[in-house]
Amino acid sequence: MDINELIKNLASEFEFDDPSKLTATTSFRGLKEWSSMHALIIIALVNSEYDVIITGNDLMQISTVQDLFDIIISRKK
Amino acid sequence: MNQQPFSLQGKKILITGASSGIGAQTAITASQMGAILIITGRNKENLFDTLTKLHGAGHVTIETDLCENIESLIDLCDGLDGIVNCAGITKHLPIKFIDKKSIDAVFNINYTAPVLLINQLLKKKKVNAGASIVLLSSLASIYPFKGGALYSGAKAAIDNFSKTIALEFSPQKIRSNTINSGMVRTPLLDGAQETISKEAMDAHEKSYPLGFGETTDIANMVVFLLSDASRWVTGTTIIMDGGLTAGT
Repeated sequence: MDINELIKNLASEFEFDDPSKLTATTSFRGLKEWSSMHALIIIALVNSEYDVIITGNDLMQISTVQDLFDIIISRKK
Repeated sequence: MNQQPFSLQGKKILITGASSGIGAQTAITASQMGAILIITGRNKENLFDTLTKLHGAGHVTIETDLCENIESLIDLCDGLDGIVNCAGITKHLPIKFIDKKSIDAVFNINYTAPVLLINQLLKKKKVNAGASIVLLSSLASIYPFKGGALYSGAKAAIDNFSKTIALEFSPQKIRSNTINSGMVRTPLLDGAQETISKEAMDAHEKSYPLGFGETTDIANMVVFLLSDASRWVTGTTIIMDGGLTAGT
């Protein structure tokens, strides 16, 4: 997998009209749309698409899309 | 006239999900009030731990997964004066991620299992006239949360199952009620906190005028509903939420 695929999936699930606003260095909580719903979407997406379990506490520890990607890679079986 | 309407002295009561959380505390409190219990749970060690904390004698434990096998449990039950269903799971899943598997996972234990258990107990005449059924529902059934479509749906279904028991079994004076509680400090809450983070949960607690509940708060209400003190209470949904939905 590569990070561009993750970015594409996230932008689609977040229903962003302009997917380019999401890059590897984007900070999730810096997004003006950010809410608890986005955290739930990330957790569910990572579980369904990559078969990796992450928690809300994991999300509190990370900042960017790259950080999320790194967690997925490190936990992928 | 019963001089001690709040007592459960001598009442035989089945409690599911008694290996932890609200179920375990309900078993302890009910035994303190004189009930003789049949307690079930999936985890043998935790169930035994609950058993050691019970007051009085004659209690029975049955290690079982209610989604898998209820035959032996049904056979063992007889002359029940009360049934308390505490077994359940919670799940946060946004609507776009719902699939058949997740629907089954949430509905099997939260709806299908208690419905089939009670249906069989009633059908096989294991429930005494005048018995009381208490189903642990959730505030979510009337006050859903983001990601809670399946959970709140299953609990709403249980609310109406309970009301239907109240209607169909009133000739036998069998009562049924649900407790629709907000956040209570249990292992289930710890699981939810893992999903949505401790910070989000702490912020959520601030919206409760009396804060989150304790398992004893629910257990005391269950005891009231099981007792003859509540003989005129049936088919209702009892909200316990520390004032959350009272207003802003």
